[in-house]
Amino acid sequence: MSIRRVALVWLLGALAPSLAWGATPLIVEAALDRQVAAPLLDAFEAAYPNIQLTFRDHSTLEVDARVANEDNPPDVVISSAMPWQMARVNEGYAQPLESPAARAWPQWAKWRNEVFGFTFEPIVMAYRLDLARYMLPPKTHADLHTLLRRHRETLRGKVTTYSPLRSGVGYSLFQQDARYTTRFWDLVAAMGAADTHLEANTRSMLEGLSDGRYWLGYNLLGSYAMHWAQTHPEVIVQIPQDYSLVMMRMAFIHRDAPHPAAARAFLDFLLSQEGQRVIAGETPLFSVRPGVIGPYTAQRLRDQAGDRLYPIPLNASLLAFVDPARRAAFLERWQREFHRLSHPAPAQTPAATEPRIDKSSQR
Amino acid sequence: MIQVEGSLKARLAVWLVVTVSALGVLLLVEAYFSSQRAAERAYDSQLEAAALTIAEAVQWEAGQPVVEIPSAALQILATRHQERVFYAVLDAEGDTISGNLDMAIPPRWRHQVATQPAWFNETYRGTPWRLYGRELDSAGWETQDPVQIWVGHTMSGRDALTEALFEQAVTRFVIMVLVAGILMLLAMRVALAPMRRLRHQLRQRDADDMRPLEARVPEEMREMAETLDSLFTRQRESRDALLRFTADASHQLKTPLAGLQTTSELALKSENPEAWRQALADVHGSAGRTSRLAGQLLSLARLRHAEEQGTATRLDAVSLLRETAFDWAQRDAAQGHDIGLAALPEAPQYICGEAWALQELLGNLIDNALRYTPPGSVITLGAVCHAQTLEWYVEDDGPGVSAEVMARLHRPFERGGRQDTEGSGLGLAIVDSIVRRHEARMQVESAEKGGLRIRLLFPCLTRHEEG
Repeated sequence: MSIRRVALVWLLGALAPSLAWGATPLIVEAALDRQVAAPLLDAFEAAYPNIQLTFRDHSTLEVDARVANEDNPPDVVISSAMPWQMARVNEGYAQPLESPAARAWPQWAKWRNEVFGFTFEPIVMAYRLDLARYMLPPKTHADLHTLLRRHRETLRGKVTTYSPLRSGVGYSLFQQDARYTTRFWDLVAAMGAADTHLEANTRSMLEGLSDGRYWLGYNLLGSYAMHWAQTHPEVIVQIPQDYSLVMMRMAFIHRDAPHPAAARAFLDFLLSQEGQRVIAGETPLFSVRPGVIGPYTAQRLRDQAGDRLYPIPLNASLLAFVDPARRAAFLERWQREFHRLSHPAPAQTPAATEPRIDKSSQR
Repeated sequence: MIQVEGSLKARLAVWLVVTVSALGVLLLVEAYFSSQRAAERAYDSQLEAAALTIAEAVQWEAGQPVVEIPSAALQILATRHQERVFYAVLDAEGDTISGNLDMAIPPRWRHQVATQPAWFNETYRGTPWRLYGRELDSAGWETQDPVQIWVGHTMSGRDALTEALFEQAVTRFVIMVLVAGILMLLAMRVALAPMRRLRHQLRQRDADDMRPLEARVPEEMREMAETLDSLFTRQRESRDALLRFTADASHQLKTPLAGLQTTSELALKSENPEAWRQALADVHGSAGRTSRLAGQLLSLARLRHAEEQGTATRLDAVSLLRETAFDWAQRDAAQGHDIGLAALPEAPQYICGEAWALQELLGNLIDNALRYTPPGSVITLGAVCHAQTLEWYVEDDGPGVSAEVMARLHRPFERGGRQDTEGSGLGLAIVDSIVRRHEARMQVESAEKGGLRIRLLFPCLTRHEEG
């Protein structure tokens, strides 16, 4: 009796989207470029014609602010700012997804069955072909540091990277970089000395590269860069050969989602074989799900880049990145290091800094 | 009639189930709480470790405590179960230096933690949390204020561990109960084996086998076996009595029949009509006696048949006695004797009984008295009221009987050691049967005047029963 009832409820739940008399609205707040994600969204709309998908693309920090908006909560939240997403889930803004796809999802790419990393995007360097005329393009972080030091005047104003202050992704990436090596701060200082432009998103950096304003970009989202490079042959994408961070876009269903059934359908689709096949085949977001075939899969990326891929771990340690004191300390140090060479602090002797740079660069 | 009421196995099983259930509930409650304690201890130490890791990261910079939250601390805090975590580092005034805890720590807790680390359970926004706070005395160059570190997480890991431990306990318990149940069944089989043997033996017994049982039984069944043995003994005795009765009855009938045959044979050989007539008269008298004998046998058999329930009614024992005495006093057989009544109670005395049987009883007693006393003897009937009983007595002033014969008098075909009468020896046996039917007692004793006195004690009807 009870089993039958459960089955009936399940069946109704499963059929509800297609039986619905009118279209169910679904609001997705995302820090995900609409152009990049278009094939995925189209596939979803084709699979669920009765769900009226509203896809809002914002910056990571904006998306984060909208999560806490009590009056008008979104259904699904997608963002590449992993620490912020994790913090929101930790605060209890997510609801768990109970489905076969969610249960089968790799343990390293989900947390509490509430938030799921559904892409596997390498962090890359990108350069303009012009750069190659003056110097050997960088292949590693050390190469980049050397170039910045040797060709500081040539590259002055032509380098771009994320602003840690204005971009959540950028901040997370720099934090992760700083975790691996202290030499990262030398790189920051060198970038500061070359008057590096700080952008809020990868798109601006790519546009700058295509315009010719920038020659070299550091820590771009590989997904956007590869997509861009397909139509902009002057931009070359380089996966760092020493280590390459991998960022996962994290999606969760909002606790107060006004349309939870549609939200579950959407998230299930993202995690499904079909959704991941679209991600692997038609977007450069890279599929996480093992067994999916396509040009953009985590497995293929691993085959190419080998052991050099360092996915940002999707676990509670991310919360440390959004710790207010730690963030403040990090940003303060970033400012200090960024201006160290160009605007030396009065307390430090100007001469004292030079040898340190030389010394570290020779290593 | 034996009524089957459950089985021994079912009884044992019910008791086992009841005791095991009661015991099991207690055990399981205990197991649940101990599982909870174990899980609590395991996860509390995680909280402790996380707090220590954070404490390591606290430093003093320009008179201010600074903390760079270590990622590892948060991962320790989250545990394998991916708990939601929160933490706060508070300065001496209770202001947050850093943390993601938006709940204010009550001052009461802060004071408690100032003396020693403590754990707290708290429900915040509908979710239960476990909180741990400890104070850290860190030394800076300018200030040495204490810093409090608070860490907490949700409890799903604890719940899961409790559940897992509890499940193990339940599994162990269920297995134990099953094993105990199987052992119990085996034990029952072994324990009940003697009963099976006894049953088998009883079933294989011949219907007329009345020998005592030859079974090995345990102590607890000895009484039952002995009862069975005594039942067999009584059955044997009653069967022997029946056989004896039948044999005696046949013998008694055979003698007059043989006399009839002899008389008729002699008459047939004779040519004298006088002899014929004499023989015919003898045959007539003999047939009358035989018929009476057969009637007595029949009524005795009928009375002894326990199953045949008569229709007992409430009747006045005094008037019945009086009527029966008058009736007999007028008969021809009594003309040689003096049948009289003693002083009777004035009021009617009611007993429960069958009138015909009681008349038969008195008749037999009077008849016996007539037959076994010489003519001219005085036969006295009387009734006496006692507290619970009503007594009838019949006494005579005849020769009486010896004490050893008195005990055998009620047996069938016993003639009190006399062969000189026409009696069949069935009279007192019939009386005895009727007395038993009426739940009364019969006492045979010597009368004061030397004859025999037979007393019959009937239970009186109480007033309540009368109404």
